[in-house]
Amino acid sequence: MTHRRRPLAYWLALSWLGLIIVAGLLAPWLPLPYPAATPDLLHISTPPSALHYLGTDPLGRDVLAGLVAGARQLVRLSLPAVGLATALGAAAGGAAGFWGNSRLRLPLAVLPWLLGLAWWQLALPTRPGLTLAFGVGALALTLGSLPRHRPGGRAGGRTFALPLDGLVLGATAMLGAVPRLILLAALAAGPPLSAPLLLGLLALVAWPETARLVRAQMLRVRVLPFLEAARASGLPGWRVWLRHAMPHACQPLYAFAPLTLAGLVGLENTLAFLGIGQSPDVVSWGSQLTTVRQDPAAWWVALGPGLALFCTLLALQQLGRSLATPITSYPKNT
Amino acid sequence: MRWWLLARLGRAVLAAWGIASLVFLGSRLLPVSPEQLSLRETDDLTYLPDGTQTLAAAQLASRQRLGLAEPVFYWTRLPGPTNQWQWHGPHNQYHHWLGQLLRGSLGTSYRDGQPVTRLLAQALIVSVPLAGGAAVLATGLALGLALYLARAARGKRRAGLRAALAALQMTPVFLVSLALLLLFANPDLLNLMPAAGRAPAAGPLAAAGYWAARAVLPLLSLVLVVLPELTLPLAAALRYELSAGYATTARAKGLPLRRVLRQHALPNAILPLFTILTELLPTLVAGTVVVEVVFALPGSGRLLAEAAATHDYPVVVGGVLLVAAVRLLGLVLADVLYFVVDPRLRPTA
Repeated sequence: MTHRRRPLAYWLALSWLGLIIVAGLLAPWLPLPYPAATPDLLHISTPPSALHYLGTDPLGRDVLAGLVAGARQLVRLSLPAVGLATALGAAAGGAAGFWGNSRLRLPLAVLPWLLGLAWWQLALPTRPGLTLAFGVGALALTLGSLPRHRPGGRAGGRTFALPLDGLVLGATAMLGAVPRLILLAALAAGPPLSAPLLLGLLALVAWPETARLVRAQMLRVRVLPFLEAARASGLPGWRVWLRHAMPHACQPLYAFAPLTLAGLVGLENTLAFLGIGQSPDVVSWGSQLTTVRQDPAAWWVALGPGLALFCTLLALQQLGRSLATPITSYPKNT
Repeated sequence: MRWWLLARLGRAVLAAWGIASLVFLGSRLLPVSPEQLSLRETDDLTYLPDGTQTLAAAQLASRQRLGLAEPVFYWTRLPGPTNQWQWHGPHNQYHHWLGQLLRGSLGTSYRDGQPVTRLLAQALIVSVPLAGGAAVLATGLALGLALYLARAARGKRRAGLRAALAALQMTPVFLVSLALLLLFANPDLLNLMPAAGRAPAAGPLAAAGYWAARAVLPLLSLVLVVLPELTLPLAAALRYELSAGYATTARAKGLPLRRVLRQHALPNAILPLFTILTELLPTLVAGTVVVEVVFALPGSGRLLAEAAATHDYPVVVGGVLLVAAVRLLGLVLADVLYFVVDPRLRPTA
């Protein structure tokens, strides 16, 4: 007689993360006595008291309000960034592993249309005569590459191979050439970034890891018999990829996404700690911890945000670890 | 082998050039230009006579001074309703930057007009010993800890050590260094280590002692941050090697477990450590940024962080280029080391 159970640490981690997410979602409606970013200049660096439940930092900002603001940052910035990075990385890595450098063949006629579209989008200079000639050429190519049945049995038409694998690996190598913190700091060195831009940047530095993982998994999945069966049954390639190969290649992501999130939360708070890329009135755990350096005696400022950040990262690690191992069955002997 | 190495190096150079170009162009295509930022930040302090003309003149002068008057790239879009593209030829900022780069110059800092190469060289004198010392210390410590962890599978002490290492693995550098700063260099708690200020002018010996004391906490933070990533895989590899047949034979011969681990398992388990060490380099570099900011050390990490916070783009781009070059060279070196150590891995033909 066995029964399935998760370890206690898993439930602890889940409840802590749930608390953070709920606090972040409900932040505008929570009955907090003080707003997070406006300093209370009469009470600077005061220890926890009935007035400020968790004290105030050396700038006079309420620590409790800052904690909730940090949770709100996590929900509004890190979670969407992780979703974006995971989706992007899975799609890029999965496609690169599945089609490689030579297996994705597009009809040659796609090229002139893409070129024309880019030309039009970039508003490059045009001449009527040239445009007409180009259009005629593109049409001729398209008509020439329409599938038609040859006596050989293969659908005709000229095609070219899209080197997907090389493109994806090149992009990951380029983004991996510099540590993520330094790349982010360099790209965020301008004026304070808007939230969507920062989200995009975070996703940009986070997707290569996911892409590498899914690509490696896809190389293993691609040669399995059931995929051969799917291809043999006449399904189109993209459908085999999306419906049959991707679910298996994305299996490790359940355990990997929490770790990606932990990495991004750490990165974002490090940036806030260094004062790069965010306007001074955005409060997060990292920006609260910066103020401790002005007044090392204010232990309550370091303890609250520091513990919140540390517990969140530990909980994410525990979550990833629990999702990586299948549910253990213990024999019921007690 | 030689061609393979050349191809690897070529790809590394391409990647470094690509990432530096991305940062360069990204910094130039901002909605707010650097000279406006710097003027805006000094705006509250300096007296500028009223009138938009003086402001425009000041902006133009600072554009000329910083070399921002030319177009950014070989072709740019003209402002206005037509949105036509215009070809500028070689008279643009990117071309000048590339030309300077090929001549070995990284431009001058916006803040104090010093050449970036000199600034970086001065700062590296602090950072390289810091990062290198941390890497050496962490490797030695990781070897010892991994041997200790691999000696037995269970035990309360080993479980505690594993848990501590796993928790450390998730902690960002700034939390570790801030905790150390508040615990050991805090005038209100334990003031064991100096963490700021100047060296005492008592003599070279006293100054050396002072700097050694100041280096303890930054070194400790870096070591603590990279330790788990080195120790845990090595311990797992050692346990795996212990389950192999030759280890059982050695134990059956009567060799003590300690010697089996050190003389038989360790040489086989140490190969992946090269990869981990090269993977560690970015962690260390990013770590020096944070640690030097926290402990107020005049190193390259702090230079980069301050340059990023004050929009000093030439320094930022130069730093990114330097870091990328070092990192990619490290990867190539790791591959070469692999082939030297393990002939089976050499690329054929």
